Amino acid sequence: MNTNGYRVIPNRRQMLQTISSGFGFLAFSSLATLAAADDQESSRNPLAPKAPHFPAKAKRVIFLCMRGGPSHLDTFDYKPELAKHDGKSGKFRGTVMKSPWEFQQNKKSGLWISELLPKIGAMSEELCLLRGMHTDQPVHPRAMTQLHTGNAQFVRPSLGAWTLYGLGSENASMPGFISISPAPGTAQNYGSAFLPAVYQGTTLGGSSRRAGAGQAAARFRGPQSDGQVPDIRNPRYDSKQQRQQLDFIQRLNGEKLKRDVDQPGVEGVIESYELAFRMQTAMPELMDVSNESQKTLDLYGIGNGPADSFGKQCLLARRFAESGVRFIEIEHGNWDTHNNMSNQLPNLCEQIDQPIAGLLTDLQRRDMLKDTLVVWAGEFGRTPFGQNGDGRDHNNKGFTTWMAGGGVKGGFSYGATDELGGEAVEGKCHIHDWHATMLHLLGLDHTQLTYRYAGRDFRLTDVAGNVLTDIVA
Amino acid sequence: MKRFQQCWMSWLGFVVLSGQVVLADDKLTPDQLTFFESKIRPVLSRECYSCHSAQVGQIKGGLWLDTADGSRTGGDSGPAIVPGNLDESLLWNAINHIDYSMPPRKKLSDEVLADFRTWIEMGAPDPRSQSEASVQSTISAADIEQGREFWSFQKPHAQTVPVSDSTWPMTDIDQFVLEKLASHDLRPAPDAEPAILLRRLCFDLVGLPPTPEQLKRFETDWQLDSQAALEKVVDELLAQPQFGERWGRHWLDVARFAESTGKELNLTFPHAWRYRDYVIDAFNSDKPYSQFLQEQIAGDLLPVKSDQQWASNLVATGFLALGPKTLTEKNPRQFELDLIDEQIDVTTRVMLGVSVACARCHDHKFDPIPQTDYYALAGIFRSMSTHFGTFETQQNRRATNLVVSPVADLGPLDKPISKQQLDDLRADLETKRAELRTAYQERRMQQTNPANAKGKPGAGIAQVGLLSTAIGMLEAKINSYDENGKPLTYCMAVQATAPVNARLLERGEFNQPAQEVERGFPQVLCEQPISISKKSTGRLEFARWVGSAENPLTARMMANRVWLHLFGNGIVRTPEDFGTTGTAPSHPELLDHLAIELMENNWSIKGLIRSLVLSRTYRTSSRFDQASFEKDPENNFLWRIEPKRLEAEVLRDSMLAISGKLDTDRPRGSLVAQAGQAIVRDGILVSAVATGEAKMNEPPRRFRAQNGGPMSGDNSLRPTIQSLDEPTNYRSVYLPIVRDNVPRSLDVFDFAESTMVIGQRETSNTPDQGLYFLNNKFVIEQADVMAKRLLDQSTNVNEQLEQAFVLAYGRPATSSELRAANSFYRSFRPTSSTSSTGAAKSGNALRGGRDQGLEKLSAVCQAIMASAEFRFLN
Repeated sequence: MNTNGYRVIPNRRQMLQTISSGFGFLAFSSLATLAAADDQESSRNPLAPKAPHFPAKAKRVIFLCMRGGPSHLDTFDYKPELAKHDGKSGKFRGTVMKSPWEFQQNKKSGLWISELLPKIGAMSEELCLLRGMHTDQPVHPRAMTQLHTGNAQFVRPSLGAWTLYGLGSENASMPGFISISPAPGTAQNYGSAFLPAVYQGTTLGGSSRRAGAGQAAARFRGPQSDGQVPDIRNPRYDSKQQRQQLDFIQRLNGEKLKRDVDQPGVEGVIESYELAFRMQTAMPELMDVSNESQKTLDLYGIGNGPADSFGKQCLLARRFAESGVRFIEIEHGNWDTHNNMSNQLPNLCEQIDQPIAGLLTDLQRRDMLKDTLVVWAGEFGRTPFGQNGDGRDHNNKGFTTWMAGGGVKGGFSYGATDELGGEAVEGKCHIHDWHATMLHLLGLDHTQLTYRYAGRDFRLTDVAGNVLTDIVA
Repeated sequence: MKRFQQCWMSWLGFVVLSGQVVLADDKLTPDQLTFFESKIRPVLSRECYSCHSAQVGQIKGGLWLDTADGSRTGGDSGPAIVPGNLDESLLWNAINHIDYSMPPRKKLSDEVLADFRTWIEMGAPDPRSQSEASVQSTISAADIEQGREFWSFQKPHAQTVPVSDSTWPMTDIDQFVLEKLASHDLRPAPDAEPAILLRRLCFDLVGLPPTPEQLKRFETDWQLDSQAALEKVVDELLAQPQFGERWGRHWLDVARFAESTGKELNLTFPHAWRYRDYVIDAFNSDKPYSQFLQEQIAGDLLPVKSDQQWASNLVATGFLALGPKTLTEKNPRQFELDLIDEQIDVTTRVMLGVSVACARCHDHKFDPIPQTDYYALAGIFRSMSTHFGTFETQQNRRATNLVVSPVADLGPLDKPISKQQLDDLRADLETKRAELRTAYQERRMQQTNPANAKGKPGAGIAQVGLLSTAIGMLEAKINSYDENGKPLTYCMAVQATAPVNARLLERGEFNQPAQEVERGFPQVLCEQPISISKKSTGRLEFARWVGSAENPLTARMMANRVWLHLFGNGIVRTPEDFGTTGTAPSHPELLDHLAIELMENNWSIKGLIRSLVLSRTYRTSSRFDQASFEKDPENNFLWRIEPKRLEAEVLRDSMLAISGKLDTDRPRGSLVAQAGQAIVRDGILVSAVATGEAKMNEPPRRFRAQNGGPMSGDNSLRPTIQSLDEPTNYRSVYLPIVRDNVPRSLDVFDFAESTMVIGQRETSNTPDQGLYFLNNKFVIEQADVMAKRLLDQSTNVNEQLEQAFVLAYGRPATSSELRAANSFYRSFRPTSSTSSTGAAKSGNALRGGRDQGLEKLSAVCQAIMASAEFRFLN
């Protein structure tokens, strides 16, 4: 594939400018739907599917992002020593607090998982736990940014944008990267930074927060409902009329691009209009789950229970994945349990347990788990010592994330924290390593996936990152 | 319960005592100690700790009984133990099952009760005082001294303006810019064309597109004398009231302005709009920036010449009151600490560009700000009460009263009510309270003996919730009138209380108090140590110091912010972080030069803006240049003007402006004020009773039926509903800003997140924005109205199309743009069988005269508004 930004961009720009000389976007969009992967085509349509660097294990990613820093010590990192030292002053500032919950060992996988997540625990044969995670940032926004972009200091493209840039999209009528219910003010976490704007994530539910904490995306009843995606239907023109109007808009945009020579913003406008136009048909169809059986809804915990909202989002994620969307992220929160953990954590776990188990089961049934990488992670973990009597503080030195499907070993645990779970000591996995591994599973060499910006080749992993080859099946 | 009788603050300036920490008495006699250890502690431990101990279990009701401190501070309902006073001690009340019943479902023996009586009456001697740790900072005095060497912690230095023999520079600013360009082997871009420059000025200064007449006049003037033409238009724009609306909004972004609490329980702030108007007025009157800051920190304490000024100053302190609130927080102390933290965070980041709040739990990790500095400031903020309002519900235990303005400011629809109506409301309140008591009893019955209870399980609980909300709303309504039924004018504000110090909290935890810290300012920013008199809270001193040349940051911060809004990026690109984690200035000398100019020019923001936009630098083109780009891709050194994506408000206002529908008058209040005290749910405001605030210029249409007007004489608690999506034609700065419920037209284009300090907005580029311009009802309506306007002006299609471009782009169309428009106009067939129903629904302006020309023109206008040129500023 063409990794030289300088060669790609002028071609793309010329293409975008040709609109005004009568080439027309009708022709462009029909070309775009031809899923050709040759060099010339990918330079024309930046979203056309591209071949990976080497045969890929995973074709797409579903990233379950747990905002707030879930406590690994009460979920996926079993530490019997914690109970022994309960109440003692540890080497950290503070008093060691055992997990108030029991852990259960899954008979088949042998993995120990908290009683708070029984259904995910029952699926643990599919899980690959990464228990030696660590990150540089101890505070939420920066750690979240590092989790998504590898860098907390500068504005850099997010993991999803890199993936889309590397592989293109299988569905020309849907955004290749969708972020469901991101927290407000976190555009950087699904942004494309210096990558062309076409690679940035499209948000669902997060930006339009009318339904409360990111549940708008979950309000789906059918294509008739206006409530699902705002302004998804034109009240006046049919599709042909609108195409004609849009061709005129794009001609004006092409004119501007010619005048301005280099204007990434205008390029982004041109591309996002084409996507918007196609989404008008594709999105309502995908969000209409009326043809899903009751059994499927139950599988995801959709109903009146606490899992309803996240369950709907997981079901949507599966539908998007099935339709060819490359990277889907769902954000869930808030896992920041400084206090009142004994109430909060069971609630949070209940909200995700059934939906995630359902998602894994559903993907498996559809034979999609083998090439769908499901990733579960928060921005950091929590301390072995207690806080406010009923909580734990941030801990960026050691925590757990997991992956499933997409070519990772199932029923596997990699890496470890110290005996109390405070610091990663074995099989350590920094965010750069974690990113490198995900790209590897997607068939991308993180050292080769570069973008030339301002005279320098940038990559997701900066100058670091080691692939955790041990976890690859 | 206690807050049922809300005591409303009089304008005479009450002093409200906040809960102060009473330390446990160290000197217990051996007898007292024995009594406590044998009779009291075992009972507390056995019966209470499982629900009221931070160490053992939980802290239900915000009450923890495992320390003397906690017992005396008490929980939501008040102090559990008042030494020597049985009646005031809620613990005594509860164990006797008077208003409360504790332990639940169990009464302690008479013997135990007698012990507690004895204990409280003897002064409740309690040895469980916490060991007073003294937390030592790892940041030494020497570290702080050394920290002052950092560029931003030193006062701005007077700069020598560089001299060059180039003819390019026109002002000192240009000299600084040119020097940097030259030293990086770069050259400034050529000047922009006059039309582009005018458009830039109009959007940057007032946020509206230039009118065709303005353009014509400017181009004529430019031919005669370009400099004079520029100065004239700049002065005109600065004098327009739209200037304050544009620049006031920039301030509202950093001040995290919103009209509701946000979070899980989202209640309205119906008086927040006064702060919004205060900010707009301050920018319009060019209030000295130093004074502007002082008023927001300590407006209640500044000397005033008139009641008007006093009222305005009180409104200014709304800055400290209108942050997001977690009303459902169960622990009152936690709530207080979080409130103070938010105030410190927003004040220091917005005004000083350092993040002092980072030092709440530990020494600042990057800047020389020890944890003690945080608690020194916390003492200042603790010595005041914050009045943000909201009404009590079962979930909201944190409601406060509001401050009555010394000057009545009533809208035309704030009508008085009769004494009879007021009495009726009070009677209604009494009834509701009685019902609530019954509901409580029923609930207790259900809990203790579910089998015998009447009604459905849980009905009592639901009833309690409904009634307490209704009571809260009713109280809020009654309290919005004086004794005679005359509406009162309220504002969100702060009030000074008795000066207290704060105690440092280990790891920031409320139950880990360490040493007391004297009130003070962040040391690294003070060349000379500043001491605060014992009698003073220190807030006035702090305000005066922030709004002065005495600290190194204030002027630089604001100069940078003004620069940012005009040039697209700051000289310091992290506008709210001037500390060591921020980025270094690209032009440090220029920044100091501007900061000094700002201070010497009586802190005039208009003056600073004027000198920036009259520079040659501001005049340059945004043209791309490959060679320069390769040397300086981020455009740090200004080899061109950075193209800007216009903000959400500007786009909406521009559509209204070119359609001719823009209402430039300021509406009174806000839609939120109209709804009054209300709960926010999915884009609507639900209130039991409107407060009687003035209707907006365009009263709601769709919901008028349910609304019944502010005071319909109907005292029932039938909920009234106010949609936040009311169509309005006034400027976007006056749209209701309700947290998590931002209007679509703002949300879609990266509106500032109102729970955070936003110094620079994001500029995303999404298909959602495409959908908005293609399909949104408001956009289509503006296109229709604009088309009608064009048709009225000319019958010639070419002229109509030409005029459409001039209106939207602020310049004549190019020949190829016109060709494209013409060709689209000629070939487009707007009316089809499928669209006729849609057109009837959304095209009010088209009703009746179903003219093909009008419809075609509307499609053209919409396309032009949807085009990239409309959205970007060169």
